[in-house]
Amino acid sequence: MKRLLTILTILSVILLAACGLNGGGSTSESSSGKAEDSKSNEGKKVLEFWHIDPGEKEKIYEEAVARFEEKHPDVDVKVLRIPNDAFKQKLSVAMSGNEAPDVFSNWGGGWLKNFVDQGKVLELTESTDKAHFNELALANTTFDDKVYGLPLGLSIDVVFYNKEIFEKYGLTPPKTYDEWLSVIDTLKDNNIIPIALANQTKWPGAYLFMNFASRIAGPELFDSAFNRKGRGFDDPAYVQAGEYLQEMVEREAFNPGFNGVPYDEGQGRQLLYSGQAAMMDMTISFVNNVRQEAPEFEEKLDFFLFPTVEGGKGDQTQVGAATGPVWSVAKNSKYPDLATELAIELTSAETAQNYMDRTGSLSGIKDVKPADEFTKRFYEVVQGATHLQMPYDQTLPPELAELHKDTTQAIYGLDMTPEEAAEKMEAKAKEVLE
Amino acid sequence: METTEVKVTNTRSIVNVASRTKQNKFKSALTIGLFVAPALIVYSIYVIYPILTTLMYSFYDWDGMGAGVFIGLQNYIDLFKDAIFWKALTNNTWVVLTSVFVQIPLGLIMALMLFAPIKGIRFFSSIYFFPFLMSTVAIGMLWVLMFDPINGMINQFINLFGFENVAWLSQTNTALFAVLLVIVWQFAPFYMILFKAAIVGIPEDLYEAAEIDGANPLTKFFRITLPLLMPTIVSSSILAIVGSLKAFDIFYIMTGGGPNHGTELLGTYMFKQAFINFNMGYASAIAFVMFIVALFVTIIIQVMDYYRKKRGAYV
Repeated sequence: MKRLLTILTILSVILLAACGLNGGGSTSESSSGKAEDSKSNEGKKVLEFWHIDPGEKEKIYEEAVARFEEKHPDVDVKVLRIPNDAFKQKLSVAMSGNEAPDVFSNWGGGWLKNFVDQGKVLELTESTDKAHFNELALANTTFDDKVYGLPLGLSIDVVFYNKEIFEKYGLTPPKTYDEWLSVIDTLKDNNIIPIALANQTKWPGAYLFMNFASRIAGPELFDSAFNRKGRGFDDPAYVQAGEYLQEMVEREAFNPGFNGVPYDEGQGRQLLYSGQAAMMDMTISFVNNVRQEAPEFEEKLDFFLFPTVEGGKGDQTQVGAATGPVWSVAKNSKYPDLATELAIELTSAETAQNYMDRTGSLSGIKDVKPADEFTKRFYEVVQGATHLQMPYDQTLPPELAELHKDTTQAIYGLDMTPEEAAEKMEAKAKEVLE
Repeated sequence: METTEVKVTNTRSIVNVASRTKQNKFKSALTIGLFVAPALIVYSIYVIYPILTTLMYSFYDWDGMGAGVFIGLQNYIDLFKDAIFWKALTNNTWVVLTSVFVQIPLGLIMALMLFAPIKGIRFFSSIYFFPFLMSTVAIGMLWVLMFDPINGMINQFINLFGFENVAWLSQTNTALFAVLLVIVWQFAPFYMILFKAAIVGIPEDLYEAAEIDGANPLTKFFRITLPLLMPTIVSSSILAIVGSLKAFDIFYIMTGGGPNHGTELLGTYMFKQAFINFNMGYASAIAFVMFIVALFVTIIIQVMDYYRKKRGAYV
């Protein structure tokens, strides 16, 4: 006991000394820091702005920020870019600690709604000009007729392919699943990886699953399962979608070890650039990646829409789509009006035009038409679309979304049968949605 | 301060001896208390208080924001029925076993090699230590590239011996092994340094005496080096075990707990529940179980060490 007390005493003395030193040091530092701050940005209001996009998109945001700062010389916008997968976590942590950035990027849907339900997001209904936006895109950020985000970007997912490889082996873009399988077999015979997949982060593989489900049972399936109107996540169509995936895995349609390859780091895209792989089902943001990472690859790049399946109710006018970036304003922002204005500048016609023309992306702004060749073709797909399917993991509540991605990854890994996955999904859906 | 103390003693000199010792006791308790207070306050605020709040949150169904609903032990009931939790606990056990039975012996061997009469050993001592100096994030990303299923260095290496490519991080049965390999690579040097310091502290004359008695190197190791290293081995084991139970970063970076929870740890599962699924109450229950497990294991080791010392063995 005595010894313990002695030790504790010694420790506390050391700690006290350390505290004293640290305390003294930091106060003098911070006071000098403040002095410098006030000299350089004399009482400027600081807005924090987080987004996830590299390359040209980042430049466009920075230009929009510059325009905003010009209008408001007293405001300093701190722009922070965080890579996609890390961003979701970082923002969640910041939100729960009430330290969210004033303006932040998101994808609308269930993920945003979760923060809205917790009262962390500022309502923008009154400051939003609804006619300025594409209805389908804005609907994805509107909950109970209240707008919580402004969609700058709209993206669809298509199957990209390497034209050169297709020409070399006399292949044409498949229209049906059976044609797709024969393309896959031909490529396989010629030692080319048919489809590149980087599925460590689980969402890239989910696209195929969602597309299959939509092709088999039509887009009503998900809405019915999500809104608990008759059908469920254990619907035979979901089981069948899983079976299609496993059939492709067993045919070795994907690069080996895809479940351990992360998407952001680019090993999956590298397979496509280097000609080792021929196809990839991905959102059109891939074009932006190509322009930044391998500009010479663009001339070989082309795309087709997800093939139909035999006897399926869906067709090729039903497209998988997503809104993003969507700009939302945090409720705890010190300057909500300025932050809102920044979000509006980030979705202005000028920003949207640049966004479309320079990044090969679509925008959620109504009257802006693309000049870029690739984008024009995406634009036409959207114009001709009869249904836009938002990704499940951005529509479902987080817990169910995570389970959807986990089970889909397990289906790919042949660790779980499609029936098991469907049962798990439905059990969780009953718990979370009902 | 001093002057008042003198006064106090002066007045006290008239009082009888019994109350004097009592007062003395009180005074020393006060002194000790004052000295202990700063550390105790900091410790309470940053360690004890969070542990208690974690325990409290674990009784709630709470999403991390807003108000929670009190649900008693429901989180724990769900947790013990949760297959992923047991999977994570098993994986944590594997990390503990690897750390104690691979990492520490390897560190010891590396430390012994540094004392062997090999040319250029100082150079190797620096090389061995490099992995420990690198940040975990860099190590994780580096090894993800090395483990790449198609173009990775490891696969090209095993190709030389005629093996097929292995998708290390993509299969539930190899992913854990692959990450454990990285952990050993990263932390063995740390134990090497600990053992190196301890070996330096062993008196040279013991070896000289052993040599005169005609002991061979193996006897010298088992009769002198190993026994005298025992305290270091014990403290290394505590570090390794507690560190392994809390393991998170390298797994999070390399596999994110996947595929299909094959490398899920209590730490990564807690993080997912807290910040992806927003089940703060459930995550708190996991955190509290982690705390209990770590506490329990540490107590066992301490007790074992106490009896070892009591027997007077080695020390």
